Formats: sequence, C-alpha cells, structure tokens
Amino acid sequence: MATFEFHDKLYKKFHKFFDDAEEKRRWHPVKDVPWDKINKDVPDDFALCAETFLGVESFLPDYIRGGLTVVRASTLAQRWFAANWGYEELKHSMALTEWLLRSGKRTEEQMFDFHSSLMEEEWQVPFNTARQMTIYGTFQEMATFVIYLRHEKLAKEFGDGALATCYRLNARDECAHAKFYEDVVKCYLDEDREATIADIAFVAANFQMPGVGIVPDYDKRVEVMREEGKMDRDFFLKKVYFPTIKHWGITRQELVSVAAARRRAARANKPTTAETPLA
Amino acid sequence: MDRQKLITMFQTTASEVAERDFPELSEDSVIGNMGVDSLAMLEVVGEMERALKIQIPDDQLVGIETVGQLIDVVEKRLS
Repeated sequence: MATFEFHDKLYKKFHKFFDDAEEKRRWHPVKDVPWDKINKDVPDDFALCAETFLGVESFLPDYIRGGLTVVRASTLAQRWFAANWGYEELKHSMALTEWLLRSGKRTEEQMFDFHSSLMEEEWQVPFNTARQMTIYGTFQEMATFVIYLRHEKLAKEFGDGALATCYRLNARDECAHAKFYEDVVKCYLDEDREATIADIAFVAANFQMPGVGIVPDYDKRVEVMREEGKMDRDFFLKKVYFPTIKHWGITRQELVSVAAARRRAARANKPTTAETPLA
Repeated sequence: MDRQKLITMFQTTASEVAERDFPELSEDSVIGNMGVDSLAMLEVVGEMERALKIQIPDDQLVGIETVGQLIDVVEKRLS
C-alpha cells in the first residue's frame, strides 16, 4: 500500500499532466489532421509502417485491462492516468486508420480483416507490479515517441502533410505519457532507491516492445520500419535508455552491478529484490 | 593488458552474461550478430569496466559495431 506522501506527490503530478493535456494537447483525430495534404504516391512501405503502428496500438483493450489490473491497488493518480492514457491512445489508432483509408493504401475490407486477425492474439502484461510496469511504460512510451518522430520526418520528406501530422500528434502524446511515467519512477526512487534500481535493471533486461509475437508478421514489419526509419541497434540506447536513466539520476554501472548480482543469484537459485513483487 | 587478452576477457564475460559460448569470436566479429541484445551487451561492458577499474562514457558505447571497435575504446580508457 502506498504511503500518503507518495500518493500526494503522484496526485499533484497527475493533475499537472491532466491540466497540460486539457489546455495544450487535446486534439481530434479526424478534424485536426489536414487530410487534403495526403500524398497518395508515398511508397507502399509507408502504409506497412502505419499499419504496423496501428496493429500495436490496437491491443488497447489488453493494455487498459492489464495496466489497470496492475495499478488498481497502487495510487489514485496511477488509476486515473491509466484511464486517461487509454483515451489518448485510442486517437492514435483512429488517426492511422483514417490515413490508411483516405490515402487509398487500404480498403475498408482490408482494415476489417486486419483488425479481426489482430484480436486472435492477446497481449499479456509483461511485469507484475505497478513499479515495474511504470518503468516499462517509461521505456516503451519514450521508444514509441522517438520512432513516431522519425516517421514524421520521413512523411514530411515525402510530402505527406497528413501522415506527418498524425505522427506528430501521436508523438506528442507518447512524449507526455513517457514524462509522466518517468516522474512517477523518480517518486519510486525517492521512496526506495535500491529496490527501484533493481526493478529498472530487471525491466531493462526483459524489455520488449508490445507488438512482438502478437502483430502478424511482426519481425518482417519491424525490418521494414527499421530500414525506413534508419534505426539501428544503438537507437534504443542513444535515444531512450541513456537519456532516461540519466534523468532518473542513475548510472549504467549501478544497473549493471544489480544485473550481475541477479544473474549470480539466479545461478545459485536465490530470489532477488526485483523478482519479488513489492509495489 | 594486451589486445588478445582483452578479446579473451570480452569472450569470457559475454559467455557468462549470455550463458553460452562464443568460440569463433574475433576482432572483426559484429556484435549485433552475436545474438546478444544491446542491454545485455552493456552488462558485458560493465563487467569489463569493473574488472579493469575503468569507466567508459556512455556516448562512446554508441556506434560500436565490432568486437575490435569495442576493444579500441577499452584500450583508450586503459592508456
């Protein structure tokens, strides 16, 4: 159970997040995208990328259910954030669907089939505690943010102002989500630095993006996205991992020593802090 | 420590972290082809830093493609 101080800190952070969202970040996925700026001649790979983003975003029912289940016993701010998060993520799917249809890259029947095939799989919550899921959320939202930015740039280069706007609006939301999660992790660090660092090392070691294994042909799709977005293996480290841990005031060396201790303990079959659900 | 010893150290540490052997490893081996993800590779580097009592700045770890390039960075910190 969270302490009053922890609850209070998060409550204030959520209010700040929510006020900013209401005042500066609310948008409409149909009305706020300049659909007349679609370039129907963009390469087909652009459609594949948009469809893949849509595929990942489409597991929203699982993300909301899983996320809320994990945070429901944590704080009010985390529960409210999860609900608000779902609303904002929904718009990402709506905007991408509109672009795929209006650009003529997909028909309504194809979209129906795609959505139907997606729901044959189910996303499973990758971590068991609110603290671990918040850490996961930070990395995942930050990664999604920078990937969307890359694709916004590409869409601009190919003269598709509508797709660029979809990516920009999605990216702005993802960044706001990542920052909220990042701030919550800082609060966790203030509460219990050692256990939170153990969780960060654990999540980092077991991290994978949410579409893996559930979006059809995910590996092939990601190959195209990496190629299009010019993302190499260092991309995650440079744009997500290093800046995030720096913001948390943690060094790579601290995380490595925790990971090494965990590895040794695992070999000796001893449970470690991060494997024991605490938060 | 000479270069070959550093490569052997990398090989041993990578095997420990990944829990498998890398018998064919050489200077030209591409780290991305080893089947070890970026974060596990950070663990390998971290273990080497600890053993050698050096600290490599994070930004120097970005852009490294081969084992030889990593050893170059380690050697620089040792000198």
